[in-house]
Amino acid sequence: MPDALSDTLSALADPTRRAILARLALGEATVGELARPFAMSGPAVTKHLNVLEKAGLIRRGRDAQRRPCRLEAARLKEAAEYLAGFRQFWEGTIDRLEDYVKQLQQED
Amino acid sequence: MPLDAEPEDARSIVIERLIAAPRELVFKAFTTAEHLAHWWGPTGFSITTAAFEFKVGGVWRFVMHGPDGRDYQNRLVFEAIEAPARIVSRHGGDGDDALEFASHETRITLDADGDKTRLTWCLVFVSIAERDRIAREYGAVEGGQQTVGRLADYVAELG
Repeated sequence: MPDALSDTLSALADPTRRAILARLALGEATVGELARPFAMSGPAVTKHLNVLEKAGLIRRGRDAQRRPCRLEAARLKEAAEYLAGFRQFWEGTIDRLEDYVKQLQQED
Repeated sequence: MPLDAEPEDARSIVIERLIAAPRELVFKAFTTAEHLAHWWGPTGFSITTAAFEFKVGGVWRFVMHGPDGRDYQNRLVFEAIEAPARIVSRHGGDGDDALEFASHETRITLDADGDKTRLTWCLVFVSIAERDRIAREYGAVEGGQQTVGRLADYVAELG
């Protein structure tokens, strides 16, 4: 079974794709509208959009002419939560290290 | 995708903290199994060490006991030790299937900042996919931990 979360996070690892998502957070856009600020060709943007769509981060409209892209916030939230939980695990460990070092300092 | 196609910062997680103690003391907390047992893992976790040798090539083997009663096998090899500034260790490896969260490098750096210590805790994974797999494991464990914390808060409110 393909790993949905890995697809999501690999898709997010690219700065152009993150910029595309940031643009889509403002509202839906067509391939042409997305290509403009990046000085990229339509096919190059489409390639990025295909990765984002496969990762479940965006959805393309059915309108064959425009095919507007829309952000899929749920998948983005899921990915952010896993990484936040992981970070919290180590933040929690460092909290305890900090407390323990204070304790050592008092004993010194 | 070949690993070198993924820049190191894209497959790393870095946490920084300023600790109000000299770095010799912070370093000391890493140097024996007895010290580590006092703080390794977030609140609610505890560890039991089976082997510990604090030297380059030395192994730290321990079991982490989760707040949900689950045990996690861990094995670390120390790859670099520079007292009191730097500890590099590799997690996992050695073809041991019982290991969880296998295969990442931890680089701990301690920089003196007046009488305080700037701690940098850097976890480097072989790939973004591996980082995310491990993040999900830890994230799930920490998620359970938060549930326990919320329940405790709730019970306190009831009291």
